[in-house]
Amino acid sequence: MKQRIHHILWQPETFLALLVASLFGLMGQLDPAFIQWHVQRELSTHAWELAIIAIPMTLVILTGGIDLSVGAIMSLTAITLGMLFQSGCPLPLACLAALLAGILCGALNGWFITRMQVHPLIITLATMAAYRGVAEGISRARPVSGFPSSFAWLGQGLWLGIPVAGWLFLGLLVVMLWMMHARSFGTHVYAIGLNSTATRFSGIRVDRMLLAIYTFSGGVSALAAILLVARRNTAKADMGMGMELGVITAVVIGGVSIFGGRGSLLGTCLGILLIHETREFVSWHWNRDELNLLALGALLILSVVFQKLLRHKRATP
Amino acid sequence: MERLKTNALSKSYGGTHALKDISMDIIAGEVHALCGENGAGKSTLIKILSGVERPDTGKVHWRDAPLPLGKVDAIEAHGVVAVHQEPVIFPHLNAVDNLFVGREHAMACGIWLNQASMRKQTQNILATLGEALSVTEPVGEMSLAQRQMVSMARALIHQCRILILDEPTASLSARESASLFGRINVLKEQGVGILYVSHRLEEVFKLADRVTVLRDGASVGTWAIKDLNRDTLIKHMVGREVPVAPPTSSPNVKPTKQPVIEVSALCRKGAFNDISFHIQPGEILGMSGLVGAGRSEIARALFGVDRFDSGNILYGGRTWTSLTIQDAIAHGIAMVPEDRQLQGLVLPLSVETNLLLPSLANHECFRGLDQGTMRSTAGDLVTQLGIKTESPSKPAESLSGGNQQKIVIGKWLHTHPTLLILDEPTRGVDVGAKSEVHRIIQALAAKGTAILLISSELPEILSLSDRIMVLCGGCNQGILSRQEATQEILLRRSLPTDSGRDI
Ligand SMILES: Nc1ncnc2c1ncn2[C@@H]1O[C@H](COP(=O)(O)OP(=O)(O)OP(=O)(O)O)[C@@H](O)[C@H]1O
Ligand SMILES: [Mg+2]
Repeated sequence: MKQRIHHILWQPETFLALLVASLFGLMGQLDPAFIQWHVQRELSTHAWELAIIAIPMTLVILTGGIDLSVGAIMSLTAITLGMLFQSGCPLPLACLAALLAGILCGALNGWFITRMQVHPLIITLATMAAYRGVAEGISRARPVSGFPSSFAWLGQGLWLGIPVAGWLFLGLLVVMLWMMHARSFGTHVYAIGLNSTATRFSGIRVDRMLLAIYTFSGGVSALAAILLVARRNTAKADMGMGMELGVITAVVIGGVSIFGGRGSLLGTCLGILLIHETREFVSWHWNRDELNLLALGALLILSVVFQKLLRHKRATP
Repeated sequence: MERLKTNALSKSYGGTHALKDISMDIIAGEVHALCGENGAGKSTLIKILSGVERPDTGKVHWRDAPLPLGKVDAIEAHGVVAVHQEPVIFPHLNAVDNLFVGREHAMACGIWLNQASMRKQTQNILATLGEALSVTEPVGEMSLAQRQMVSMARALIHQCRILILDEPTASLSARESASLFGRINVLKEQGVGILYVSHRLEEVFKLADRVTVLRDGASVGTWAIKDLNRDTLIKHMVGREVPVAPPTSSPNVKPTKQPVIEVSALCRKGAFNDISFHIQPGEILGMSGLVGAGRSEIARALFGVDRFDSGNILYGGRTWTSLTIQDAIAHGIAMVPEDRQLQGLVLPLSVETNLLLPSLANHECFRGLDQGTMRSTAGDLVTQLGIKTESPSKPAESLSGGNQQKIVIGKWLHTHPTLLILDEPTRGVDVGAKSEVHRIIQALAAKGTAILLISSELPEILSLSDRIMVLCGGCNQGILSRQEATQEILLRRSLPTDSGRDI
């Protein structure tokens, strides 16, 4: 029992949770208005796309890979949605096509990684450029707008007092938590990240799992793009620009090892919360962009260094 | 007198006392064997002597001066060099780069590396180990034994005064072992002190001058080799009298049965050529040969890891011309691969997860993974195989080498395979556990499992197999029945003859 408590106390998630709690405490001290529910709810609209993509990104990084193309997939699918809508396609159908496009983009990444044995960093770096190139090419940098107001509900509306996008995130999170903790899938993901050869020798379809995970990542990026279009009421080719960095930062701050095999979805959630709150608070209170960057950098260093120390501490109790 | 002396070394990992109060010495010009069961603390002692780990308490003296502890480079500079149990190499580099990483030969005032001299030296050292290895191939693509040799060569290019070898022969076959022994004797004559760890007791008696026995982390004593015999040594190691009977021969299979697997004319360019054999239910087919003879490659082809170019496999009522690991497993083939750390285990995961990894999907139920049956299955395997661990939830990497090997065997036992391929199943397993593994193999065979046993240990092959196939250079040198086979015949057949046999 004592060992168990010790074990839980030294988890990176515990440390992150404490960090989040103290951050809220600090923000409440500095500016009580900031931590009110309706303010937080309002500000959360900025974060849902990032949060949603962080879920598949966690899986990708846990397997020891990376997906740099998520932002580009967002822009490509946003443009797909916009162009189809403009050409008179019914909106639900256009959304479906956008999702499909995202799934295809992700599957293409996965295909290169599993069949062609290209390193994920390289192939997604390449497809990041390619997908965004295609998006800019077909849109010719012209934004599409004029979506019906019912569509805006998806990005801006509330349901039972919580943003619709938030419900989507929660739904996805619950399903993935179940997959990770109650199914063999989760253990297999960790095993792949730690030693994919031994995992393959144990009869686990490593290639198929990787293909599925990168495809999932593409599909979820498309979902995020739909939400973003709905929220902004425009579709542009530069949407999702830099998204990959934000997402990867959140996942890494959340204690997921970039080498794979260590970390958790819970950690990622805390990581998202941490960077989102810091960012919003800095812009709310000081409204200075450079401070924001500084805070983000400091947070990343703090989190990574502490986790390193924690891991060491856990290894030698 | 030159000697390396340890003074009351202790080391614990969490709750396990891996070493307690070890005092011993290695004298220049002697071969000092270190014996003990799996998990006795041998590798831990070696890690401390070589500076990979730091002891909790205690000191090490070299030539009566204290040795800097926990600093590999400083210790190597004193001439104390170790070859660890699991080969430490850079898989993407070739043999030359592996040997010279961190101590490259420079020329032209350090602007260029002297590739030619480094390559020459690498070839020379590998040649003294009796192995013609490619010096351009990335080491990660070599077999385990070849990697072990690169690792050894890396230690030998030092002008060492004390050489520490942790189970160097575990994956070597008779010929490579013999050249290694030759090398050891030469070094010994040059006045190098050698600390030698092995579970193959014949080697200990052949090489060693003195033996130190460890048991549960404590030193039992040091003896001159002439004061010991096999039985007393085992008794010191285990702490009680153990009759390590040579495995009894299983009843011969009736030849009327339908074979489980029939392999015909299997070829893979550069690995093996025209391999045909069959195995019946309950039969153990041994595969003998030198390192690089193509045994593991055949095993990998049967398990669907590698493709083969031509030939086919008749198995499970189908003729396969290509198969995947999933096909193999779905039809009841299981394989214990040669390299436990690379292919057998996910080291940071727990013992339990590793044991259940092939069958985890069967433990899914409505509420999630069925922790109860998982724990009991894993617990049974731990007791059945005598895996020495604090608890099954400990990471596999915290176990000693031999105990890790037992996990790799255990993870397939509960899947009840119809064909079990064992590639060096007792590599690094101690005497007691080895006979236990042998017993398990025979029990499986008695229940009708067909077994393909690859082993470099001739006594193991000879005592367990019903028939023995000898390979050399990827070619089948004939299949012998148990009655026909002797060590001499196996060795002779496994040596390449002069009539160039190239594939
Ligand atoms: N990193 C570690 N963390 C926790 N326990 C460890 C670690 N390394 C070794 N141990 C424990 O220390 C003990 C001694 O291990 P060691 O590897 O020295 O055994 P060994 O004598 O070399 O055995 P083998 O013959 O199987 O290689 C074992 O009980 C092992 O479980
Ligand atoms: Mg050992």
